[in-house]
Amino acid sequence: MTGTTDLVVNGERVTVRADARTSLARVLREQLRCTSVKLACERGECGACTVLVGGVPRMACVTPARLVGREVVTAEGLGEEARDLQEAFADHGAFQCGFCTAGQLVHAVAVLRGPVPGGAELEPYVRRRLSGNICRCTGYNGLVDAVCAVAEARA
Amino acid sequence: MSIGERARPIDWWLRSLGLVDYTADLSEPAHLHAAVLRSPHPYALIASIDTGRAERMPGVRAVITHADFPPGALYQHRGGPLSDRPPLAGDVVRNVGQEVAAVAADTREQAEAACRAIRVRYRPRRAPLTIAEARAPGARELHRRTTGLRNVSVRWAADWGDVPAGQAAAAHTVTGAFVYPSVSHAVMEPNTTLAAWDAERELLELWTSTQAPWFIVKEVAGLLGLSRDQVICREVAVGGGFGAKSKISEHEVLAAALARKSGRPVLLELSREEEFAANKPRHRFETRLRTSADADGRISLFEADIDVDNGAYNHMGSSVLRVGVITLGSMYRPDGVRFDARLVDTATQAGGQFRGYGTPQVSLAVESQVDELAERLGVDPIELRLRNLGAEWSTTLCGYEVTTNRLGPCLEAVRDGLDWDARRRERPAGHGLGAAVGMHGSGAYAYEFANRSDAAIDLFEDGSARVRFGGADAGTGQRTILAQVAAHELGVPLDRVEVLSMDGEHTPFELGAWSSRGTHMTGSSVGQAARELADRLRTLAADKLGEGRIELRDGQAVRGDSSVPLGDLVRLSPDSVDGVLSHETSYLLEGTEMLTPDRDTANLSPTYAFAAHGAEVHVDRRTGKVSVVDYVAAHDVGRAINPTMVEGQIAGGAAMGLGAALGEELVREGGRVVNAAYVNYALPRAADLPRIRPVIVEGDDPAGPYGAKSVGEMSIIPPGAAVVNAIYDAVGVRVRELPATPDKIIDELARQEGRVRKFRIWRRPDRWWIALVRWAYPRGLHHALHRWGVRFGPGVGPGPDAEPQPEELVVAAGAKEASAALTGDAVLVGGGTDVLTEARLRPARPARLVSVGDAPELRVLRRYADADGDANAGADAGADAGADAGAEADASELRVLRRYGDSDGDGGGFGLEIGAAVTLAELAEATERLAPAIAAAVASIASPQIRNAATVAGNLVQAKRCWFFRNGFPCYKRNGALSPCYAVLGDHRFQHAAAGAHRCQAVTPSDLATVLTAYDAEVEIVGPAGRTTVPLAEFYTGPGETVLGPADVVALIRVPAAALRRQGSFEKLALYSGDFATASAALTAAVDERGAWSDVRLVLGAVAPTPWRLTAVERAVEGTTPDLATLRRLVDAELDRHADPLPGNVWKLDAAAGLVEHAAEHLSTGKGAER
Repeated sequence: MTGTTDLVVNGERVTVRADARTSLARVLREQLRCTSVKLACERGECGACTVLVGGVPRMACVTPARLVGREVVTAEGLGEEARDLQEAFADHGAFQCGFCTAGQLVHAVAVLRGPVPGGAELEPYVRRRLSGNICRCTGYNGLVDAVCAVAEARA
Repeated sequence: MSIGERARPIDWWLRSLGLVDYTADLSEPAHLHAAVLRSPHPYALIASIDTGRAERMPGVRAVITHADFPPGALYQHRGGPLSDRPPLAGDVVRNVGQEVAAVAADTREQAEAACRAIRVRYRPRRAPLTIAEARAPGARELHRRTTGLRNVSVRWAADWGDVPAGQAAAAHTVTGAFVYPSVSHAVMEPNTTLAAWDAERELLELWTSTQAPWFIVKEVAGLLGLSRDQVICREVAVGGGFGAKSKISEHEVLAAALARKSGRPVLLELSREEEFAANKPRHRFETRLRTSADADGRISLFEADIDVDNGAYNHMGSSVLRVGVITLGSMYRPDGVRFDARLVDTATQAGGQFRGYGTPQVSLAVESQVDELAERLGVDPIELRLRNLGAEWSTTLCGYEVTTNRLGPCLEAVRDGLDWDARRRERPAGHGLGAAVGMHGSGAYAYEFANRSDAAIDLFEDGSARVRFGGADAGTGQRTILAQVAAHELGVPLDRVEVLSMDGEHTPFELGAWSSRGTHMTGSSVGQAARELADRLRTLAADKLGEGRIELRDGQAVRGDSSVPLGDLVRLSPDSVDGVLSHETSYLLEGTEMLTPDRDTANLSPTYAFAAHGAEVHVDRRTGKVSVVDYVAAHDVGRAINPTMVEGQIAGGAAMGLGAALGEELVREGGRVVNAAYVNYALPRAADLPRIRPVIVEGDDPAGPYGAKSVGEMSIIPPGAAVVNAIYDAVGVRVRELPATPDKIIDELARQEGRVRKFRIWRRPDRWWIALVRWAYPRGLHHALHRWGVRFGPGVGPGPDAEPQPEELVVAAGAKEASAALTGDAVLVGGGTDVLTEARLRPARPARLVSVGDAPELRVLRRYADADGDANAGADAGADAGADAGAEADASELRVLRRYGDSDGDGGGFGLEIGAAVTLAELAEATERLAPAIAAAVASIASPQIRNAATVAGNLVQAKRCWFFRNGFPCYKRNGALSPCYAVLGDHRFQHAAAGAHRCQAVTPSDLATVLTAYDAEVEIVGPAGRTTVPLAEFYTGPGETVLGPADVVALIRVPAAALRRQGSFEKLALYSGDFATASAALTAAVDERGAWSDVRLVLGAVAPTPWRLTAVERAVEGTTPDLATLRRLVDAELDRHADPLPGNVWKLDAAAGLVEHAAEHLSTGKGAER
């Protein structure tokens, strides 16, 4: 690789090697060992590599590493903010194989930072917001239940 | 007390953070990366393979071909004459994607480049690609088979029971032909192996994504000429299996052979494209079934004729066929069953083992016909099934010895759960209810030793325990279940039990997790080991506490008031080694029979699970779209060891079955998979499903461990039939071929209603040339272009000589600078969401990227004073809405915009200026109140993550999404004029033009293009010649093709004030949430207080090569308040006047007209919807 770029990942400033077309996901996995960032399609179609860039959920596999510009947070860096979600994930059967889970968790953290509707609108809202994260194991039941439960508990 | 507990997964903390290591996450041992060279032909003789150049390439450490395996090496599977698949192709390839060679190199890119440099001389030959072609006289025989039938690998034909009695009893008979297509597991973790060869010890270590390490060891050892002791699997996390990983694939032995040859560890990860196109999907079943019942509705006879698409090699086809057929003799108790089933070789990827294993396919036919009989008899479908329940503790026609059977309560749970009787009586239009039932074993006696499971338990001095078993948990929760079992028997808290799986050195014999055997077999063996160990502990404790009743609980052995910690007993035991007391045992299942080719019946399994599912669907008669609105899945699981996990298996399997029912299908053209990508594979996303309501109908089966039966596969069996039965109930359309996509519904509704479209091509000279070309395609033109014409093109991927180019990134500060940087083959990047995918699939493509994503002038998003509008309408608008395109954009402008959000408010005299690099998410936020139709269109695009990155201009100028063009076909647009358009004869139902297409049948994929055309948007372009402005309606010159020159850059999109003052709506038909439009409609109109429309724009998306304005309709409704019937008539007339559909997409015209009706209905509310 010919170029380098500076990133802030989970609060730490790092310099990484990256060509123009090197993805953020590859950099995170291969150079920074953030292996919670999974590669399941490398086409921006499944959400397993979801990370926060400047607080916004993005597919790391189709994000050019050199064009990131803002702080990157992966599941490794979520900390306490994710604890109740993790517990709810475990209690509601939100994951089985776990391969998509870190991406789901990162995305759910971002969803719950924003205002969420209450009542009957909550579940369809959560389903829409998480539709970019494919899960092949659970049929989304446990996942949606968990996120809704935390949304209600935090409200 | 751990049995029956809703325990969390034992590793929930790390797993929920993604911190358990899957194979590709392992950094140790340090390894090379591998790539596989695959056949591009469905059938070809291999004249020669030259690896010389590849071997000399930088970073390359090993190249293997068939010559690296012992002569005649074949995967064993069941052994004998059915073994036919080599690890790498020798003198012939029999399917697109078959492995021909593999390379290990320092990097994946180097390995892929070396694969491209291997010269294989193929001699392509015609070969059958479908069951019908394979059975046709004169078809090439793919293998020498012993059945005496052309291309029939296995034939199984027999009678069960008393067929004449069944015929005699028949008062009602229904017949039909059913198809369950080939579908993909689409596991989230691609199949992956890391292999390490220790030359000194002659030992092979494997970390591999498998459900059954034992089979991997057996096959890899066999193919490499090693003993089984020399191959050891290690424990690693596995990301989903569903059967895909329950037997050997190819990556395991290829990684192993490369590791041995290179002397270095090697990682081989399949790409997602390989996962879809080269793995072994569900076998397609074509089932012709005749079901008879007597006058009371008792099913008396099944007569079936079944063809199973084997693919090019025997993988698990023979047993999938058998299990599929067994459905006829297990679920119900007819007098007789007659069947003739054939496993048919075709030159396509081999089918494999997939959750349900043949049963979903045959169940579709059986359960559809039970409903058809119910209608004939005038009996409620659930009632008819209740009348045909099999008895408990009885033997079925196929030899199953059923133990408990709680299907009756399951059916009642569905009836109650859905409020079946009331909702069927009072259902709203388009709604329907359907039910289906199923049955599945708990582990089949399919292999030698499948009736045996060994397990071990270690108890440590600190009182903690460890379960060791040789199977693997790909996500089913088996490790947690086994920990619960051990905790229960040993009286140890669950969090003090750990589990070691897979490891061939440290775990005892176990065949693995397949055939729903995990809980039954290892639950039994671990339970037995734990009980035996508990007995030993009680004996040890008696020495300390005295004789008497000793209980193990809370980590102590307890007798009366005295107790001793279990860890102390470990210390006391003379059998402890290094502070560990270990106990190993072997559980042998009795009473089951192995199914062998010489017998037609067998009791395969110790116990059988049952389930009833019920679905409520809504069918949109306008678009054909089927939505599941409610779903109840009631399961007889015996006792639930962990109810949360049981419910997870039920919901997950049902969702997967609903995917196959409504959207999933591997589509092939010329033997090559067309839709080898999630974006083209309509599996359910979260918003596509209702909450599936699992119901555990608990019982207690004496044959199972702790009363448990299986659940993992059962849940995928009923959904197909439940959905098609509900569709029939809703709109009277009987779908017999899955998936029930909108085209099938619309085509059948049109037939029922007698609607026929006439296009009168003979009166349209401009279409004659196209008509001629289309006529010639099936008559040799396609073949000639595909076979020879494509050779004149540059090819679709990088050529063998393509060298990686140095990459360059230019970050442009504005449009002018970007334009200047766009020289040669440079590519403009906005959000980058398309560029990186293209870079991976076509790595040698130009590597100069010009980024404009952060260019301030392209990030503006604001109102501007529109010459046409009243610029003084807003009190303080002038201050904020300057028209200087060079002004800095920042977040405050977005806030300003939201302040002017209401189109009825102050901003009425202002247009909207959208910078090219504004993201879709930002545009949606800005237009939510200003122009809800635009926001609705944006919300239907891709996913939230993509919308956060993708830019407005990137969306508008994206290349066509035709799945042939995007997925590696050397098509006319990709490869030049002498190449064919694969859509003409290929599957063009969803993605291709029904009007106006020329040689390319693709459409402009951008939903923004459709909706912004209805808003009279203009595009400002900056290029070498300066700034120009083009109406969006004139921006597109073809499918995803624009007026932009090579150095032109889109700078701004303007939506005029007048358009923003109109009402708008946007409607889209897509196969799943976030899919590209199958068809869409955008409508804007000024609606006066009397409801009359004026200034109307009606635009269809994805129906013609470019956004299609229905100008005749616009004129006709101008000044009127059109009722829906009139509008529909006008739309149909204009569609018929201009359309020239392909045979498979005539239906899209109906769907598009239906979307216009929806749009008109929603015009006043401004809301749109994705359908």
